[in-house]
Amino acid sequence: MQEVALILSYIVIAYMLFSSLSYLGLFALAYGKVKKENKLDKRESTEDFLRNQSTYPVSILVPAYNEEVGVVSTVRSLLALEYPEKEIIVIDDGSKDSTSLRMIEEFKMKKIPFAVRTHIETAEVEAIYQSSIFPYIRLIKKANGGKADALNAGVNLSSFPYFCAIDGDSILENDGLLKCMKPIIESDGQIIVTGGSVRIANGSTISRSKVEIVGLPKSPIVLMQIVEYFRAFLIGRLALSHLNILLIVSGAFGVFNKERVIQAGGYNKNTVGEDMELVVRLHRLLREEKSKQRIEYIPDPVCWTEAPESLEVLRSQRIRWQRGLLETLWNHRKMMLNPKYGSIGLFSMPYFLFVELLGAVFEFIGYFIIFGGFFFSLVDPQVAGVMFLVTVFYGSLISALAVLLEELTLHKYPKVSHLMRLYFWALTEAFWYRPLMVLWRVRGIIATFQKKAHWGDMKRKGIST
Amino acid sequence: MNLSHFWILIASLFLGQLLLLLILAWRKQRSNKREAAINGQYDALTDSFSSYMMDPSDERFIEELKASPYHLVVLERLLNHYVSVTKGGADSPAVSRLSEEFLSKRYMKLLKRGNWAMRMNTLYFIEDFRMESLVPQLKEKLAKSSRLDQETQQLIRTLASLNETVAIEALAKYPDAPARLYIDVFKRLDELTKLDELDAALNEENDNQTLKHSAVSYIGMAGMTLFLPRVEEELQNPEMEMRIQALKAILHLQYMNSPSALAPFFESTAWPERMFAAQIAGKLQLSRYKEMLSELLGDPVWWVRYSSAEALTQFSEGDIVLTHLAESHPDRYARDMANQWKTSLLGSEQ
Repeated sequence: MQEVALILSYIVIAYMLFSSLSYLGLFALAYGKVKKENKLDKRESTEDFLRNQSTYPVSILVPAYNEEVGVVSTVRSLLALEYPEKEIIVIDDGSKDSTSLRMIEEFKMKKIPFAVRTHIETAEVEAIYQSSIFPYIRLIKKANGGKADALNAGVNLSSFPYFCAIDGDSILENDGLLKCMKPIIESDGQIIVTGGSVRIANGSTISRSKVEIVGLPKSPIVLMQIVEYFRAFLIGRLALSHLNILLIVSGAFGVFNKERVIQAGGYNKNTVGEDMELVVRLHRLLREEKSKQRIEYIPDPVCWTEAPESLEVLRSQRIRWQRGLLETLWNHRKMMLNPKYGSIGLFSMPYFLFVELLGAVFEFIGYFIIFGGFFFSLVDPQVAGVMFLVTVFYGSLISALAVLLEELTLHKYPKVSHLMRLYFWALTEAFWYRPLMVLWRVRGIIATFQKKAHWGDMKRKGIST
Repeated sequence: MNLSHFWILIASLFLGQLLLLLILAWRKQRSNKREAAINGQYDALTDSFSSYMMDPSDERFIEELKASPYHLVVLERLLNHYVSVTKGGADSPAVSRLSEEFLSKRYMKLLKRGNWAMRMNTLYFIEDFRMESLVPQLKEKLAKSSRLDQETQQLIRTLASLNETVAIEALAKYPDAPARLYIDVFKRLDELTKLDELDAALNEENDNQTLKHSAVSYIGMAGMTLFLPRVEEELQNPEMEMRIQALKAILHLQYMNSPSALAPFFESTAWPERMFAAQIAGKLQLSRYKEMLSELLGDPVWWVRYSSAEALTQFSEGDIVLTHLAESHPDRYARDMANQWKTSLLGSEQ
């Protein structure tokens, strides 16, 4: 038994060191690009597109399920977006609350007949409404079919060649859409998907559907999620995007070439990770066509979203994310280590399998060995001690580094006290937050084999004040 | 490696991070202070700046500006704000005078600096402030560039805003230069130069198709009816992309000398041509094509059906025609489309 535990310990230690180094390597790759654009006057670099007729019009899709608290402020923030030509389509996916009613009342919407093109099959569309104040706001009321189905219905109704998918509880910065479309326009269509950064709005002051003052929340659970987002977006996505092997564009905010999405078959209704699954499928399509088109992550445009404040909701969210990841990797297992899919098959898919998915299993074993080593002589305490230090390095120091890297590059949090608080909370990660995440992510892997797809169970308070 | 080695490693990583944290905190505090000082000076100078822009003989602003420790940054922000909110602000002689006097030396240095973002910002500001004294440096830089990257693209736009036709010649060097860049150049040239360049682009001797497409497209966007006969000629062009650009331009111009030239496009094998023909027939209310539009309502392509129905709404009795078609058109999709348009005129934000 002790021998097995010892071998396992060495494997886990090697794994954690390898993963940590891969994170650092990935960031080193992306650092140059972020640093290069850091001092660029963002206003100057986008203002030309604001008046330019060659700026593609965009359909903004807002899938909503029981979002009566946030949907109106989300649409209001979209109305304020600086963009030359847009339409906003809210898709009420059979909500049990007053999501549609809130929209109909607030924007004086009327039922209209509309000849929808059915590019992708969806659950029954019950009615389509149009605002009499802003004719470019529409509402689709449809039978419940899940988030992917709602997005597909939005794609069917949309009129423009690009669509932006945004969550019903999120607020996009005024120039966020323009910044996301800029690389698409500049590449003359060679970039088919762009994803922006998602940040946590809890703690910031939001009024009139706009983030006025960026601040930090009091709740340690939310603070840790902020650190986690830094780690995910800054360390992971930037470098993967740089290599054109990014497999995730957050469902909360991404811009897509509609024709390509339709060619790929739209969002997959049979997974809870429809955002990642679509991106993997698009990569697959591009590789199979030997196309040079790209999928990019852009760190600057920011979408603010409400993070769960209770452990119960956070748990359900993380289980869902892990399920989504596993389902996507399983659905596209053909690509794994397959040279036909180039760096996606040979690097990105194995990376997501070993680092993003199985990382939780290795860490779980790691915590078990530390506990067993210190209290039950499962392994030599020396080995348990090494394991403990490596866990701190992997859990806390890498996260703390992510905070420092954010400050070094984007520095979105304005005060010195913000930096200090985030840094010191990040150091605590390995001792309480990470074990919880590890536990839930392992639970997520198990849940993949048990449950049916459903919308998240987020209890909204609304982020607008 | 034993436990103590790991302790040393982790402790040194932690201490390294702590040092970086302190450096970043110090840097943040310093930059926050600097930003607050710049904002304070910006606010303090706003009044005298406004007076100066209205009456340049009021020297108070110049004196106050010179006394400010951050005068270059503050001036850059004041001018930038002025040109972005004032109509024709970029052409103001006061903007040129101030920028040339205070910023040209700094920009000359920045253009040669290694920092890409700073060079890009400099190019944006030279364009905004129309700093003609920097044209030789810009031309020199353009001559040295060998790739049409973001910086070269902005360099070309900046030169065009200073009315330098070298911008078009430079673009022509790159066979892959996109039409949007040519359009950006046309947009920035002054009226007389623009007319000459558009005329040259439409000449038959010009074999740069992208330039020609862009010229036609720009004529439509800018509503330059002077070129309408030349655009109409392009309807006969054997190249489809050229014909589509000409149709699009006519749609924008909202006028045609010979509407009969539109007839063949209703039966084109290319759906964009059928769609634009339908849109033009609607926009120009060419009632001779009403029957054609009713037929196109049953086109296999959604966009053609959509545009035909939309076109029918432009006619005075469009509602009646659409109501009739919503009931009697043999095609189910045509009936759906007619039904949609008869109820309300839908569209996106304009």
